[in-house]
Amino acid sequence: MNVKDLKVVNKSVVKIDSMSLALGKPSYVADFKPADTLYVKMLWSPHAHARIVSIDISAAEKMPGVKAVLYHGNVPRVAHCTAGQGYPEPSPYDTFMFDTKVRYVGDRVAAVAAETLEQAEAALKAIKVEYEVLKPVLSIDEAFAEGAPIIHDEPDATIPIPVPYEPLKNLVAHISMEVGSLDKGLAEADFQFDRTYETQYAQHTPIEAYVAQAYLDPRGRIVIVTSTQVPFHCRRIVAQCLQIPVQQIRVIKPRIGGGFGSKQEVLLEDVVAMLTLRTKRPVFWEFTREENFRTGRTRHPIRIRLRMGVKKDGRITAFGMEATSNTGAYGGHGLTVIGCCGSKVLPLYRADNIAFLGKVAYTNMPVSGAYRGFGATQAFFAAESLMDEMAEAIGMDPVEFRKLNHIRSGEGSPVFEALGEGKKGVPMTIGSCALADCIAIGAKEIDWSRRTPWRSKTGRYRRGLGMCCLMQGSSVPEVDMGAASIKMNEDGSFNLLIGATDLGTGSDTVLGQIAAEAIGTTIDKMIVYSSDTDFTPFDVGAYASSTTYLSGEAARKAGAKVKLQILNTAAEMLHLPVSELDTAEGWAFSQDGQHKLSFSEISLYSLYQKNQYQIMDTASHITHKSPPPFSAHYVEIEVDTWTGAVQVLNYVAAVDCGTAINPKLAEGQTEGGVLNGISYALTEEYLFNAKGKMINANLTDYHIFSMRDKPPIKAILVPSYEETGPYGAKSVSEICINGAMPAIANAIHNATGARLYTTPFTPEKVWRAIQAL
Amino acid sequence: MKLNEFIIPEDLKSAQSALEKLGEKGFAVAGGTSLHFLGIVEKTAVDISHLGLSGIQKQGGAYLIGATTSLGDLMKFKDQGWVLDQVALHTSTQQIRNISTLGGNIVRVFPWNDFPVALLALDATLYIEGVAEKAYSSDDYFNGQPIRLFQPGQLLTRVEVPVLKPGQGFGYHKEVRLHAGFSLMTAAAVITVKSGRIDGIRVAASAGIALPARLTLVEAALGGQAADAASLQQAVANGTAALAWKGKEGMSDEYAAHLGRVVLMDVLSAALLQAQGE
Repeated sequence: MNVKDLKVVNKSVVKIDSMSLALGKPSYVADFKPADTLYVKMLWSPHAHARIVSIDISAAEKMPGVKAVLYHGNVPRVAHCTAGQGYPEPSPYDTFMFDTKVRYVGDRVAAVAAETLEQAEAALKAIKVEYEVLKPVLSIDEAFAEGAPIIHDEPDATIPIPVPYEPLKNLVAHISMEVGSLDKGLAEADFQFDRTYETQYAQHTPIEAYVAQAYLDPRGRIVIVTSTQVPFHCRRIVAQCLQIPVQQIRVIKPRIGGGFGSKQEVLLEDVVAMLTLRTKRPVFWEFTREENFRTGRTRHPIRIRLRMGVKKDGRITAFGMEATSNTGAYGGHGLTVIGCCGSKVLPLYRADNIAFLGKVAYTNMPVSGAYRGFGATQAFFAAESLMDEMAEAIGMDPVEFRKLNHIRSGEGSPVFEALGEGKKGVPMTIGSCALADCIAIGAKEIDWSRRTPWRSKTGRYRRGLGMCCLMQGSSVPEVDMGAASIKMNEDGSFNLLIGATDLGTGSDTVLGQIAAEAIGTTIDKMIVYSSDTDFTPFDVGAYASSTTYLSGEAARKAGAKVKLQILNTAAEMLHLPVSELDTAEGWAFSQDGQHKLSFSEISLYSLYQKNQYQIMDTASHITHKSPPPFSAHYVEIEVDTWTGAVQVLNYVAAVDCGTAINPKLAEGQTEGGVLNGISYALTEEYLFNAKGKMINANLTDYHIFSMRDKPPIKAILVPSYEETGPYGAKSVSEICINGAMPAIANAIHNATGARLYTTPFTPEKVWRAIQAL
Repeated sequence: MKLNEFIIPEDLKSAQSALEKLGEKGFAVAGGTSLHFLGIVEKTAVDISHLGLSGIQKQGGAYLIGATTSLGDLMKFKDQGWVLDQVALHTSTQQIRNISTLGGNIVRVFPWNDFPVALLALDATLYIEGVAEKAYSSDDYFNGQPIRLFQPGQLLTRVEVPVLKPGQGFGYHKEVRLHAGFSLMTAAAVITVKSGRIDGIRVAASAGIALPARLTLVEAALGGQAADAASLQQAVANGTAALAWKGKEGMSDEYAAHLGRVVLMDVLSAALLQAQGE
């Protein structure tokens, strides 16, 4: 297909919800709060690890305005997983609505629903809790130490799939693979490397904190309106927790003020649903920013040991990765994130000898979960840092070294088959790959030719250039499923109903464009609605870089089916064979140009005039591969060698996302991801006291880059055509966050000679690394 | 801070009278941007933002700045010997600068406040008005929490800052992680150079130390010395050895001390260059 022939796809149409959001129209969960709602406040654990010896809620229940108090003694005890993944989940069932044990500072103890927020807060103070404080486990090393306290000693913690899970050893997951022989590959190398990298906690910090409300509809069903990335998983998990049928629950996702993976969890919905059932009243719960940090999900801190070997001519002979992550108190996403460290990173470069070992530790620290990049972010920091070290060792330009080794179209990797998400992977040959172009275009844009060795640089302020290459995936093959329904209206407009969730990413617009292209109409005729479990078809939700590629193909298929119905009706009206007709821009026409009908005429005919029927159809889609987007990132920085402060001067991200369905939105995704990545690399970190309590749980002390801090970022879309994606599209959302950390690390080295192995690159760390030279 | 009432007085006298009556239960508010930091207490606010206490005037060798002058106005004001625009520019965001006032930045002092350090270096005079007006040197005013100087009904009304003269230079630096962040280290210096020697020096720091303060040992080490980088370096090394630098936001104390010395060198160097006419 020639992308230039497309009428709606590959065009930067305006985001369909932009005007209503810009005008502040009611859009988000909190905008739809019923007048008679009850407010929820949660009593959180002040301890990292403790047993609840006793809890007395009687005084709180009698407080003014209090309508219900929940705690472990008055709710069902159902082991479940808060992570909204596939089913059965590749994560342990280690969470209970309320438990007799608390496992991190910020764990649930008791919930109050009251007439006002102030009354709920007051009631929390009246709850008397006696704790038996246990020794906390605050690091990976402590978790796996001999005689370590057991965090999940409850017998009902299990995992629903047959994978290693040993909670008595604080081990959430363990996976390994080896192709060839790592030892042999290292022995064959002219240069061997053994390096260990450590990455830090980080929070997604969406503008809209976690928020959910619930109410009973006139028939007594629970309606949950929530800021979620996974409405269908949410419905299933809430049903599981409350022990009621899925049929009794409806989940509505309005607009979302950002998620980035954090809202791929069910952290509020079970409580608001239970409180609504108990009180028969609407219930509203919104996290404060502090709660978002302490109790919300975070990026896994991961320790990554790399062992690699390289020949003098630049061929990589061995690529070994040992990744150990800290999942915190609960294990949702633990297995899959650690798996992605290997599956998204190891295939990027050819090597005959590849090994991966992944381990996940329980600790009494904040709970990690899904976060844009999903393990690849951490592992690319390690791998791409070492790629530069290897290039320097063999005296090769880092760009040339990567060009020599990176995977290309038509090639596969044994890693694709060996590492899946909770199960074996799927063999895959790379289809589209414009990485070589990304590398070349990015190098030209940043002017890589001016890069000079760090030893030639002097003075207080030193500039450096760094780069890295990246790949990700597009959905989880043979696991994820998306669906779309399209219905035609009398005026030639269409309702596109999708289960996929627009988090602010613009996916409603993108899916609308795909459907419009498939039908042969214009984007303004598409009424896109996502998501409502009562009305929209199933979709696993917005994660794993899946929406455009997976749900987009469902939208394309549904559009193609609807187009066929339109053509059949037009053929009946025009007395022409279908094969002589086509559609474009809201018209059906004969290819000789002699006849044409508007979609409105066709719809009116099909609904009112003859052989009436509703033109509508539904399509589902699963994928059998996860085609990687590719990218090359380049950065220029300046280091103040006296203070260690790093300033990003210029950033270039050249990305191959296949056909960009909406180039402006794809560029926006890339710019946003890069800025988020820079922020993660330079400033974001959780600070803890000695008892495992986060001490900078606010946006004053936890530093995220804002637009004011944004350096010049140039996103360059490098086209390729992925045959398995809708109109050649792959994903774009996650890959862009993975580059800043390694590119900046490499640039710091190029500026100063200092190599950083732990993140973030705070001024003090950079200064100390320079001092150590 | 929880406001249980908001009083809008007609004039300064009414405001002072209201505050005197309210005592501990009242407080004066102009910009209101630091209420977030004042803890959970119930107060009655007395609005002093429209009582004629705003504006900048040059009188003789000084600028008279109304206490409720916004930081945005301090930033916009330009004159040969005016330097507070440099300080305002690095304070928070433009939206905050538009409403935050000079008085609000210096009546209650937090370690990260931007203006106390600059006013100490500039040898400003601060005026508190009750029944009568009383002038305080910046040294006296910032020698502890300024709120100790205020009786109920008394208000900071204006600040007098000397015009920088030829032969004088001003240096200011605020070290932050992000543009709108709170300071990790702030320092300011005014140096007077005469015949190639340092004839006058005032230097102050904050954020890395408990509260804004002049660094008198650095000043003593520099007074009368040759106006060159070597003198600055030696003075900073010797004059800060006994200071108790405190790291925050993950910084070690050792790094804070190092950063403090770098920042001091930067402001002294900038002040010296300006004083030398460069």
